[in-house]
Amino acid sequence: MTAVALTQRTARFRPARALRLEIKHNPGVWVLPLLAAVFYFNAFRTAAGYPPTWTLRAAVITGPNLIFFTVIAAGISAWVATREGRRKTGDLLATTARAAWPRQLTVLAATVFWMVLAYLAGVAVIYGMTAFQATWGGPPWWPVAAGAVGVAAACAVGFTCGTLLPGRFTAPVVAVAVFAAWFIGVNAANSVWDVPNASSARGSPALLVATNGGRPQDVAVGVFYHAAPDVSIAQVMFMGGVLLVMVALPALLPAARVGGARRSSFAARRRWLTVVAAVGIAAGVAASATAFSLAGTARLSAVTGWGIPALHDAADDQPIPYTPDCAGGAFAVCAHPAFAPYLGAISAALQPAVAEVVGLPGVPARAEMTTGDTLPAVAGTTSVYQYSPKLEGVGGESFWVTPAMARAAAWEQGTQQDFITWFVSGPSAQEAPGPTPAQEAVAIALLAKLGAPVPPGYPQFSQPASQSGSSGMSSGSATQPTATAAQITAAATSFQSLSSAARHSWLAANIVGLRSGAVTLAMIP
Amino acid sequence: MTAVRTPPVPPAAPAVPAPPSQRLAAGARLTSLNLRSRRVPTALLALFLCAGALRAVQHWHLMNGGVLAQQGPMVIEAGAAAMVAMTTHSPFGEAERATGRWLPYLRLASALALTGIAIGALQLGVTGTSLPGGVLLLARNVIGVTGIGLLAALFTGGLLAWIGPIGYLGLAEYALNEAWRNPWTWPARPPADRGAWICAAIVFAAGLTAVTLRGPRTSLSD
Repeated sequence: MTAVALTQRTARFRPARALRLEIKHNPGVWVLPLLAAVFYFNAFRTAAGYPPTWTLRAAVITGPNLIFFTVIAAGISAWVATREGRRKTGDLLATTARAAWPRQLTVLAATVFWMVLAYLAGVAVIYGMTAFQATWGGPPWWPVAAGAVGVAAACAVGFTCGTLLPGRFTAPVVAVAVFAAWFIGVNAANSVWDVPNASSARGSPALLVATNGGRPQDVAVGVFYHAAPDVSIAQVMFMGGVLLVMVALPALLPAARVGGARRSSFAARRRWLTVVAAVGIAAGVAASATAFSLAGTARLSAVTGWGIPALHDAADDQPIPYTPDCAGGAFAVCAHPAFAPYLGAISAALQPAVAEVVGLPGVPARAEMTTGDTLPAVAGTTSVYQYSPKLEGVGGESFWVTPAMARAAAWEQGTQQDFITWFVSGPSAQEAPGPTPAQEAVAIALLAKLGAPVPPGYPQFSQPASQSGSSGMSSGSATQPTATAAQITAAATSFQSLSSAARHSWLAANIVGLRSGAVTLAMIP
Repeated sequence: MTAVRTPPVPPAAPAVPAPPSQRLAAGARLTSLNLRSRRVPTALLALFLCAGALRAVQHWHLMNGGVLAQQGPMVIEAGAAAMVAMTTHSPFGEAERATGRWLPYLRLASALALTGIAIGALQLGVTGTSLPGGVLLLARNVIGVTGIGLLAALFTGGLLAWIGPIGYLGLAEYALNEAWRNPWTWPARPPADRGAWICAAIVFAAGLTAVTLRGPRTSLSD
């Protein structure tokens, strides 16, 4: 090989080789154990505690997981950016043939590589776990894109800050500033979500940030209807814009040329680089500003969540067809296939409860899972017991628990409390005062036969003073006098002491009157 | 080669101790140089900036409501603790270690003083506002997280010591969200909780002792 050939070969710019070298020596790899620990304690444990539905689990990766990854990514990028100043190689590098910006860009790209790789590894763990547990649906990819772009943008923010202000304290200040900015955004996002109903919710740029903990409002989000990806698209636009601005900014600013290179940067001489950087900044600002304003136009739908009209696909508003999974024999219990892991627990809870009232007027033939806030049809008017994963009944059980926790006695008893209360209460279960004292007494007696305690949702029993059974006045209803918890308990005990046949025959004769509120506490045998 | 007669070496003059005023001035200069080499003046500025940020957060209710009211100030407290830990870095490295016999004392005094100043500055920043947990929680958080930063400096060096406090912050935020009761996650415990105070004090004492005796890790690449 001749000297000329060697010179020609080495003069060629080889960004792939430079990037490979930077990736090999980047300190980002040393923070991977820390990221793994933070991921385990924040994202993994949170996701593992959620029901195994894809959209819920995906909410974790843009919630706390993204916050901690961006904080550490910004800090470590700022640290990396100060490398040339720290090692006092500014003068040495100023004499090289390459402009400072491409060199710095290679360092940034290597840091982004490690941070995004770590983030995607975390996503892979959560999605892998969900793939084993979920029984319906598939992974949403827009949140993954939003997270990856967010981590890259945080790297770029940290890197630009470190390049412009190469000091000892730059890295922690940037990390803490990113953390604080996230929390200020979370505070604003919490206030956006804190609305009584969907109609009163108004869009806000705060939607670009997850709420505290990142937990969605609806446990069935993305199950009956598609979860609209509009907000995730806006997040990608916003963070992509920030990324573009931060990458292009150092190419424009003379101060960004580190150390001794300030007087002789190629960046200043290369007009095309300046033009490209200016265009990049303009495009980035436009993308971020557009996303910011689009988020302000968002509207909350009760079924699909937040939607941005300009980005919304009307197909997302249509319900997703599904075939329910059912269990049980004579009394079939059906659930959405996404909640199939809970089916065993629901069926195990409802079968004995239905057996307790079988043969009475209005006993349902099956149980079905419904969607949204729609109240179930009143007992006696339907042959289907409808239950919603979104609504929390008097039993207090919730679908926010994992399938393993749903198999616990307390959860099954909550399901029984909901069913028995629905069965004996009629319309009053859905009205303001709640069940009448007579209905409560009968329900308590039936639940006692099942081994379930008094439902925590009964007002007389939920007051602290009523624990002794001496006080806790019933709020009463239009047709019934008030009663204390003690009186209700006494009536329930009396009714429970009847033989099964006597209890059954009394219920057969009076269940319609009991549901309508015509039966009072004194009429219970 | 010719023999050269070397003149006899005169006996060394007996060492005359410097007068106390000169020794005091030398000590003050040594301390001043030490603090400046550790960027302590910049750290003080950063601490007061943290205090200002905490004041702004409390005044404008930028992070309030539920757990966030406690999580938000903790981020700034951890930032202040990270600043203290980062002042342990010396630009002179091994050469200074080999010659400076007063270094351990300077490291101890510097870390203690800066921790105290951090607590004082942050408390000054929130005077007149309702900081959740009050000064007790603030002091415990700063003390404990500074200890983590000092311990981190042993492994990462002073310049990367902020990694420790930020990493612990990740754990503590989760502990606050989940209402953990473990005293090692002291930010989630009540202000007067004895176990949390003991844990925070142990971590601080361990970090302080280690940094005093051993100093932060030094690396040629720093």
